[in-house]
Amino acid sequence: MSEFKTVGKRHRRKDGFDKLTGRALYPQDMQIEGMAYGATVRSEKPHAYFTCDTSVAEKMPGVVIILTAKDVTAMNHHGVLFKDHEVLCEKKVRRVGDPIAFVVADTEKQAEAAAKAVIINYDELPALFDPVEAMKDDAIQVHDGQSNILYHYKCRRGDVDKAFEEADVVVENTYYSPFVDHVFLQLESGLSYMEEGRLVLVASSQYPHFDRLEIAEALGLEEDEVVIRNPAVGGAFGGREDITMQIHLGLATLLTGRAVKVTYSREESFYAHSKRHPMSMWVKTGATKEGKLIATEAYIVGDTGAYASWAINVLRKAGVHVPGPYEIENVKVDSIAVYTNNPFCGAMRGFGATQVPIAYEQQIDMVARELGMDPFEIRYKNCMKKGSMTPNGQVLVESVPLKECIEALQGMMEGADAND
Amino acid sequence: MQMIKQGKGIALSWYGTGYGNGFPDVSIATVDLSPDGKVILRVGATEVGQGAKTIMPQICAETLGFEPGEVTMICEDTDSFKDSGTAAASRQTYNTGNAVLLASKAFKEAVFVEAAQYMGLNASVGLAMEDGLIWLEMLPEKRMTLVELASKITEEDRVLTVTETFTAQTTTMDPETGMGAPYWPYTFNAYGVEVDVDTDTGRVHVTKAYCVQDVGRAINPELVEGQIDGGFVMGLGYALYEDLGVKDGVIKNNRFAKYIIPTAMDIPEIQKVIVEDPENTAPYGAKGIGEPVMVPVAPAILNAIYDAIGVRILEVPATPEKVLIAIKQAGLIFE
Amino acid sequence: MFDLKINVNNEWIERQIPDGLRLLDFLRNDLGLTGTKEGCGEGECGACTIILEGRAVDSCLVLAVQCHEKHVTTIEGLETEDGLDPVQQAFLDNGAVQCGYCIPGMVLSSKALLDANPTPSEDEIKDAVSGNLCRCTGYDKILTSVKHASEIITSKTNDDDLKAGE
Repeated sequence: MSEFKTVGKRHRRKDGFDKLTGRALYPQDMQIEGMAYGATVRSEKPHAYFTCDTSVAEKMPGVVIILTAKDVTAMNHHGVLFKDHEVLCEKKVRRVGDPIAFVVADTEKQAEAAAKAVIINYDELPALFDPVEAMKDDAIQVHDGQSNILYHYKCRRGDVDKAFEEADVVVENTYYSPFVDHVFLQLESGLSYMEEGRLVLVASSQYPHFDRLEIAEALGLEEDEVVIRNPAVGGAFGGREDITMQIHLGLATLLTGRAVKVTYSREESFYAHSKRHPMSMWVKTGATKEGKLIATEAYIVGDTGAYASWAINVLRKAGVHVPGPYEIENVKVDSIAVYTNNPFCGAMRGFGATQVPIAYEQQIDMVARELGMDPFEIRYKNCMKKGSMTPNGQVLVESVPLKECIEALQGMMEGADAND
Repeated sequence: MQMIKQGKGIALSWYGTGYGNGFPDVSIATVDLSPDGKVILRVGATEVGQGAKTIMPQICAETLGFEPGEVTMICEDTDSFKDSGTAAASRQTYNTGNAVLLASKAFKEAVFVEAAQYMGLNASVGLAMEDGLIWLEMLPEKRMTLVELASKITEEDRVLTVTETFTAQTTTMDPETGMGAPYWPYTFNAYGVEVDVDTDTGRVHVTKAYCVQDVGRAINPELVEGQIDGGFVMGLGYALYEDLGVKDGVIKNNRFAKYIIPTAMDIPEIQKVIVEDPENTAPYGAKGIGEPVMVPVAPAILNAIYDAIGVRILEVPATPEKVLIAIKQAGLIFE
Repeated sequence: MFDLKINVNNEWIERQIPDGLRLLDFLRNDLGLTGTKEGCGEGECGACTIILEGRAVDSCLVLAVQCHEKHVTTIEGLETEDGLDPVQQAFLDNGAVQCGYCIPGMVLSSKALLDANPTPSEDEIKDAVSGNLCRCTGYDKILTSVKHASEIITSKTNDDDLKAGE
């Protein structure tokens, strides 16, 4: 008998009925009488100065306004940690896909046609695509006046060098994880309009209150002059944390008084939102012949692309998690976030902790193999438990049922064997 | 003749939830009593598909003795709820769930204080509430409904509304040593897979999956299972198919035809076990699981590939090309 | 321009439309039936799936003119006064919905399968929804839902047969 009335019960989702009957509305499903449509002009070059000529496009049928950097009413910036994105790039683009202009027209087709007629002249700059190259002292700066090394997490516990000397088994490898995408099914879409003197924005977001702050700051409005309405969100996984079209829409409505809507295509969506940080992870693991892990050393380089987004938190999480859920006395970790001219990276499910187990779980399997130990056995021997201390010195006060998890897994996998 | 080698692989993982590193991780929840006696929960837990809109009312309902259908949650308009932080970092269940729990408890206390007054009792001690009925346990005839209470409060031109804040506890880490308590709580898991590797084509197919997930407490097991299923398949795509193919800053694979994500044809038989070891600072012991469920998948698959063919794939995705190259480089011949 | 006559959800509709208008846009914009979604515009994701003359089809790849005098079913056409279609009910009861964006297409692919083959094997179900991408659910509860819907439908048919025989 459950001690709870509702906790632990398989209650049906509250929003299931609407989603199953076509009633649930995502921003692309919404219309407002007389609304105009937006289309974004984006950089085709990874690193360049540019000039933008909208004179031809402005004269095209149905065009209401074409926004460029000079039209941003207060601050031409946004960003979840550092405000290093421009709402619309003013003179320089730092990645393919950087937004340069936002065309507003009476119909979608007219907006798209006019967007194609915006002329961008690029004066290309040498570009950085390799984060290791970008770390060098003489590398060009992705953001003027700033080092390309955005963040360097360090963990220093015990003495790894001594421990590796004493270790009976040492395994060392470099692992790699590439640029990966959230690919949420619902394409980015938003709608903005004025309502009783306030700017209303309807957009699928993971954090409406923060979006409101960003919009208010960029446009020079008070927070309570902006309202965010979050309709159904078609998946996120971290890809809807950075501003995409929200400020473009708000600015367009502010300057024209009209409702404006934009929906991205799938190809554009891939460029518009963040990516998972690619990482190269060099990991060295040392163990005794009894299979006790005694040292982990790791050097991680994460490519955050042209903008910071959540780089600091991601490379921090990667650095903290790379030793794995194991009791290890000697740990040395360096985890570094680097700017390049690649597509920008940010939050994506696991947030740095997803890339590193590709290394640490293969390392421990390799140690086991060298010692002739079973993969379960070595994990029982080293796994964290209630009261364990992490490499950062944090005591895991409770709720650490790793041993129980391993037991349950072994039961399922070896129990299955017994039945074959 | 097609050569299929079979292998098994396991992986453990851990995940520290929340903003972390001493950043103020704050959630705020409000519980109102509507004039017609309904419970309204106002909280910024964005529903992105993960089920926030289902479990927050469950937490509130559990505290107030209701079925969750009796609690209305409002989370769509910045005018109608306060900032509860992002729906990310697997933080909503723990952080915002705690704010909901605190607000619900405070609401219940406020209801008891009001009810005690209306019923002419000396104190609010010893009252109980279930399915909208409030009564004195030692003398059950002393009772009233929440609907009646709401009506009386409304007649007096008052409103009953409670707002509570929860702030998670973490500390910043020392920048040179990393000493600190960067995340809380951590969520753990142990996943295993069985794979078939076709040594002629390099294709890897996951045939079975075993997912053992630590959750603290499953507020709604159906939703937890849905997360495990979804996290597993996203991890499978990460392990075997997904690569944007960025070259010179250009995304080569920016269409579904080229950026391959798993379909229903790719999924294995999947067995799931939920492990409950409640975390006592968490709402009913529940920890966040939205991200943890993806984390051990790719390493389990890579370990299984090694078990099948004796080659280590050190980068994801383990595409057929990479698997064949690795077999060739290892000088392995499969007959 | 073309004088289209089309049956959508059991209702005959006549409209004059541009020749190049996609069925997806006709349904969403001209008829306001926004349940059918766009996920890629290239027939790769299945979010725009509808049932055309009994077959599940990507409506982003079909022109409205190609549906002249034909029958189309969208997600909005599944409910009756008696309630949800068994496929919808099964998805609801088995926790197969998360963000919901793939759901209309997924439900219609499933329904087209069950209308043609009320007792499909697991492989046949996987094949039927293989063109419907989902990023949230991992498909498992979707497959369970389709099997469950199949049970409901066949037991209803058996009941009806029994009654007919009385």
